[in-house]
Amino acid sequence: MSDQKITIEFNDKVVRQFLLASVIWGAVGMLVGVLIAAQLNFWQLNFNTPWLTWGRLRPLHTNAVIFALVGNMMFAGVYYSTQRLVKARLASDFLSAVHFWGWQLIIVAAAITLPLGFTRGKEYAELIWPINIAVTLIWVVFAVNFFWTLARRREPSLYVAIWFYIATIITVAMLYIVNHLSIPTSFTHSYPVFGGVQDALVQWWYGHNAVAFFLTTPILGIMYYFLPKAAERPVYSYRLSVIHFWSLVFVYIWAGPHHLLNTALPGWLQTLGMTFSLMLWAPSWGGMLNGLLTLRGAWGRLRTDPVLKFFAAAVTFYGMSTFEGPLLSIKAVNALAHYTDWIIGHVHVGTLGWNGFMAAGMTYWLLPRLWNKPLHSTALANLHFWLGTSGILLYVAAMWTSGITQGLMLNATTDNGTVLAYPNFLDTLNTIRFMMLMRVVGGGLYLSGWFLMGYNIWRTIRHASAVNGTIEVFADEPAPAAEDKITLVGTFLNPPVLFSILGVAFACAWMFGGNFTSIAGLTGLMLCVVLAGAHFEARGGKWADWYDRLLVNTAPFTILTFLAVVAGGMIQIIPTVIAHHAANVEDRRQIPYTPLELAGRDLYVREGCYLCHSQMIRTLVPDVLRYGDYSRLGESIYDHPFQWGSKRNGPDLARVGGKYPNIWHLRHFENPRSISVGSNMPNYPWLLANPLDATTLPAKLSVQRTLGVPYPNWTPEQISTRVNEQARAIAQDLRTAGAYIAPDKEVIALIAYLQTLGHSEIVAPIHAAGL
Amino acid sequence: MTPTPPTTPTEDALRPHTYDGIREYDKRLPNWWLFTLYATIVFWVGYWSYYEWFHAGPTGPQRVELAMARIEADRLAATPTLDEASLWKMSRNAVFVEAGKATFTSTCVACHLASLRGKDENPTAIGPNLTDQKWIHGGQPTQLYDTVTKGVLAKGMPPWGPVLGPKKITEVVAYILSHHQEGEPIVLVPAEPPPPAPQ
Repeated sequence: MSDQKITIEFNDKVVRQFLLASVIWGAVGMLVGVLIAAQLNFWQLNFNTPWLTWGRLRPLHTNAVIFALVGNMMFAGVYYSTQRLVKARLASDFLSAVHFWGWQLIIVAAAITLPLGFTRGKEYAELIWPINIAVTLIWVVFAVNFFWTLARRREPSLYVAIWFYIATIITVAMLYIVNHLSIPTSFTHSYPVFGGVQDALVQWWYGHNAVAFFLTTPILGIMYYFLPKAAERPVYSYRLSVIHFWSLVFVYIWAGPHHLLNTALPGWLQTLGMTFSLMLWAPSWGGMLNGLLTLRGAWGRLRTDPVLKFFAAAVTFYGMSTFEGPLLSIKAVNALAHYTDWIIGHVHVGTLGWNGFMAAGMTYWLLPRLWNKPLHSTALANLHFWLGTSGILLYVAAMWTSGITQGLMLNATTDNGTVLAYPNFLDTLNTIRFMMLMRVVGGGLYLSGWFLMGYNIWRTIRHASAVNGTIEVFADEPAPAAEDKITLVGTFLNPPVLFSILGVAFACAWMFGGNFTSIAGLTGLMLCVVLAGAHFEARGGKWADWYDRLLVNTAPFTILTFLAVVAGGMIQIIPTVIAHHAANVEDRRQIPYTPLELAGRDLYVREGCYLCHSQMIRTLVPDVLRYGDYSRLGESIYDHPFQWGSKRNGPDLARVGGKYPNIWHLRHFENPRSISVGSNMPNYPWLLANPLDATTLPAKLSVQRTLGVPYPNWTPEQISTRVNEQARAIAQDLRTAGAYIAPDKEVIALIAYLQTLGHSEIVAPIHAAGL
Repeated sequence: MTPTPPTTPTEDALRPHTYDGIREYDKRLPNWWLFTLYATIVFWVGYWSYYEWFHAGPTGPQRVELAMARIEADRLAATPTLDEASLWKMSRNAVFVEAGKATFTSTCVACHLASLRGKDENPTAIGPNLTDQKWIHGGQPTQLYDTVTKGVLAKGMPPWGPVLGPKKITEVVAYILSHHQEGEPIVLVPAEPPPPAPQ
């Protein structure tokens, strides 16, 4: 080994690009958020324009803040910190540039397609299939660039931030690919391969873990780099890092079903979702503790340093949000909170408080270093902090009040519990209007702080010249010692991994086995815990040594991380896909839609109706009193995508079919307030004007058949005849009721769809199994 | 080895490794944190055993069906014995009529309009006039009560029984009757030919 030193220059250009993109897209995403929040109070704000309507803009808001704000911020933070933590320049400037520009193109494509109504109809997975492929490819570019950089590292040992980045990259890839499996019917439309309950489970496995592995783990990695840097303090506890990393990535995956509590999802999945969500509390707080306790000794600097202010508040909000999550996952709490604004408040503690403030702190810390110039104004940054904090508190307090108020009103009964106290949904909506308005104010405050940051950035970098970080390294670094290498066998043949695998296997035997297997499994699990504890007490030093060695072996580390995240998903999804399909549905089975109804359903998805209306009557008395008999698993078994929904800005629609005459629906689409006084649903005049595009139906029905929906092999002419017959019948009925509308309009198809909701056939005696 | 920072007590040993200047302590896990973790794991074992292994607690469907059966029994027990005379009497009682008006305003005006005159005031309204002497489904007070409770699905009148309950329906009927006089003629008119049922 020579002592000759060379200087390497980091690729900080791509960091600057991602950083600025994050701030700009973040402003756009939050502006849309404030607009749609205002639309809930002032329905006129869509100006009767399709692409400005709530149902189309809400996906734009969520996708923009998740994938554009946090996505770009994550890439900036990952690229900046990784290069320094592994002492190597990013492996490929070309891949870095492809990553940046590809991601921005995806965002632009999303910003165009979503308002136009091109959607897959699944939350945070709305983008259409060509964009899905682009996202996957760019993610692979990111992964290659990242792991290639790790392969060329001069720092053999992987720091905790890198662990979180590795978990992010592999898990997001897995989640994204599985939840976006679809069969195209055209260049802009596809049906997801999973339907009904399967689709619900896969969607929330994805949705919940998108929060985990897109909004949480990468940001925790960023926290582990930037927070000790800014505080100039050592990280509080390495062993806490180890324990909370592995428990977090393992437990998170199992908790997805907590989005589907008290629904038609099989009970065992709900129980898994609830109990694992509770077990997630401590691992999440491990991250908060390591962040907050690292600040010990630096608290005094919070008064002057906006960066530390943002970081300390962000970690605190993270702690609040990850306490609230397990709380909301308790079935009884969920019965009150689900579908209400409480959930919206919960999400925004995480996104505004944790993600947004981590982004702001990181940005203020990076600016002087990336442009070699002091921050233009610390006072403005402090003002940003206080505007942001008061915005969050106002927002969240309003949403808590709103959610709990509406939840209590919706669940309230009278006359000895036999009837609803507020049978009219609108009574509950109009009670929370003031809180909804306060949300707009809170969001507006937060956004104004964000604009201040934009101004501060602009003033800082206006006449500054960009600089790239450098580092001096030895020309030829020693390769890791041979005895530190871990082989594939060595990855598994060691006490910590063996005990973990055995423990999970025993736990599964206990949970899913028959009586004898269950007892054996529980005994094995307890034995495993005791033995592991005893072994650790006796030979704990060896565990630590092995882990130190694991940290210099990227591939074994990545394999073990993948194993940890794949287990929960497989155990939930595979049995559900095998057990719950149309052929062995019990109780009730959905009747496949007619072609016209299917076309109407696609319009329902296009307009984003599922974002305000659920189609899932929960196994709860107030739901049954309000909307009718609880929804059965089989009643949506042919729904690709499922439309159970996650929020009720309006009433549930699972059994709306036949409840009102056609004319009711027509008037309601034209102007909801002519029927429902006080409604905040926008007008949909274009549905009455646009002709239905029925030419895509043959391709759509063909894909539905492929997916297992029992449609006969109709010719395009037969399909067209069926569409026309049903449409004419509805138009004729509307004429009798005094409304003249041509049968070829979109609204006819949508009415046909709504009027069939809740129709099913009985396939076995109800509760043959006995209660 | 590394020098210990002056502000740190000696017990807080730093890990030997430095990453881009970042050092790490290796402090003990807080006990309360560990107990939280253990407690939630124990809860998982207990909760799963109770519901999914021993099936000692009811499932969601079982729970709601039992509760609905009780509600149904309560409703049957509480159904008022109504006759024409008592409903007419209620229709002259301001408390009943006001309560009925409130329910009517939030639930019925969408189709029957605030004037109760429905199609006779505005031909595009969905519901018929409730103030004239023509009745489609019977004009006796108990018939009104039945129509509101069971609805007329084909014509778009939802069954309000499960939603409003007997008390509110009684009040609504009293409110409608307050627009009528006992003993006034009742003209039964046939319903218009029902429109083709939605497919």
